[in-house]
Amino acid sequence: MGKPKVAFFDFSCCEGCQLQVANFGETLLDILGLIDVVMFREVMSEKSDVYDVAIVEGSITTTHDVERIKKIRATAKVLIAYGSCATIGGINGMKNNFDLEDIKQYVYKHDAKYFETIPTHPLHQIVKVDYFVHGCPVYQPEFVKVLKCALAGLSYVVPDYAVCVECRFNENVCMYDKGISCLGPITRAGCNSWCINNGNICYGCRGMVSNPAKNGQMDILKKHNISLDWVENKMNMYNKPRELDINEQKHKG
Amino acid sequence: MQQFVVLKKENFDAFISSLAQTEKVVAPVSRGYNNFSFQEVVSGKEISLKYIPTILPPKKYFLPTRETLTAYNKRENALNAILEYEKMVIFGVHTCDLAGIQCLNMVFADKPKDINYIIRKNKIAIIGLECNDYCDEYASCCVVENHLPNGGYDLFFTDLGDVFIVHINTLLGEEIVSKAAVFKPADAKTLKLLESLRQMKRSIFKDEVNVKHENLKILFDSAFESKVWEDLHKRCVACGNCTNVCPTCYCFDIIDEPNLDLNTGVRYRNWDSCQNEPFAKVAGNENFRKERSQRQRHRYMRKFKYPVDKYSRYFCTGCGRCSRTCMAKIKLKETINDLAKETK
Repeated sequence: MGKPKVAFFDFSCCEGCQLQVANFGETLLDILGLIDVVMFREVMSEKSDVYDVAIVEGSITTTHDVERIKKIRATAKVLIAYGSCATIGGINGMKNNFDLEDIKQYVYKHDAKYFETIPTHPLHQIVKVDYFVHGCPVYQPEFVKVLKCALAGLSYVVPDYAVCVECRFNENVCMYDKGISCLGPITRAGCNSWCINNGNICYGCRGMVSNPAKNGQMDILKKHNISLDWVENKMNMYNKPRELDINEQKHKG
Repeated sequence: MQQFVVLKKENFDAFISSLAQTEKVVAPVSRGYNNFSFQEVVSGKEISLKYIPTILPPKKYFLPTRETLTAYNKRENALNAILEYEKMVIFGVHTCDLAGIQCLNMVFADKPKDINYIIRKNKIAIIGLECNDYCDEYASCCVVENHLPNGGYDLFFTDLGDVFIVHINTLLGEEIVSKAAVFKPADAKTLKLLESLRQMKRSIFKDEVNVKHENLKILFDSAFESKVWEDLHKRCVACGNCTNVCPTCYCFDIIDEPNLDLNTGVRYRNWDSCQNEPFAKVAGNENFRKERSQRQRHRYMRKFKYPVDKYSRYFCTGCGRCSRTCMAKIKLKETINDLAKETK
């Protein structure tokens, strides 16, 4: 059996997560020993319609996108949603805060009539996703873990607990002790508290834990004198399309 | 063997510096914002002698957050044990954390023995450091009787102003003292000073909660159905800080991870926490402790009831870390008092 054929795709995104692969350094050589990259627009010219694993960056924002991702799903044996745009809608989800017509007018002005747009969707809201690599950008070691699982046929479970867990493991001084608010307590781990290790706060780019404690979180905000608007703005930066998941769950009852 | 020796404060730096030349020495170091952590030091000047409990307890050296246990090779059908350990001296361990290490020792020496833990523990020398006063309002060391030294160290330092009086507890401790050549035998006057300090401590340290030491267990025996857990449910955000900083929480998860060749790989363990959503989740998506109230209750029971049934010892050391670090400001002393109020 030959090496599995891997193709990279992008939808609405900055392609920065794919850049993370290009930036791997020596680990990339080990990875290339394992897979055969047949398409990767950012780093090579070759193209292919035949592939086993599709690594897809970006979110779905047009009807054309919907058709395209369905085709990719039909071809690939394994589909990996890669980066926050693909896994939770990410930055593009901010669009869902506004009326679609208004936002079109704002961006394209007189030419708005030439563009069609739909609310931002992460991939799993359109097609079945086998593996999720969260992050903006993705955390390289986690991507390697997921890739190994995908190739070995193992499942990868995204940690469903707060970034605080890994942040304590790394023995960082809590941002709240420094008088700085941080989305760590509500954001799911797996990034090894990458940002906080480097002196930054958590922006919530990996999406919320599955069962966030609404009342408890509100108490914390009150205690630290943080306004709800501020947090809503911060959370909406990455998490807006989550509403679509919740609506769907409600429909299912 | 002289049981007590004295180290002049002016020689403290020389002691640590010379010790650090032959051993890895870790000690409490300031991290700013009234946070401290155990870190490697090469001189006494780096050490914070007056510190509140560190972010993580010294547990991190005995049970690392991640530890490889075995390496496997599928093609050769081989599974090889791996031992990861490092020789070191931990300086400045408070009595609460000494108690924490004693608890871990009991658990990991229990059947089935955890060889990885035991081998690592035997490579670590422990130098205790006495608290002459409370560190802050979160501590509850007196009610669990950890405010005074109770063994679990090789050497134990007590600050007596110009000098440290040092109790030698083991052969290893004696070796460290004789090698350093800066310690002098303690005279009767210094021993008297130590005695009066301990006397003074008995008046400073008082039971921090409205329950007596021996009644804590009785309180928790009947606390399972308490309404207090519902209150914690509303406040807790399940960040897991309380258990991750606890000196006696030892739960871990075991994970197999293939290497990039997909043939070889490692099996490692890393810290897990009963506060994490998936901790009690099993196949079929059933979760035995889905509610945060159940998880908080479990954490408290694991300190004040279950280990007392099994090991006849409270597994709360009174260090106060869980209260200090809690995002939701859930305070252990308050919880105990609330439980006590309910039973009145």
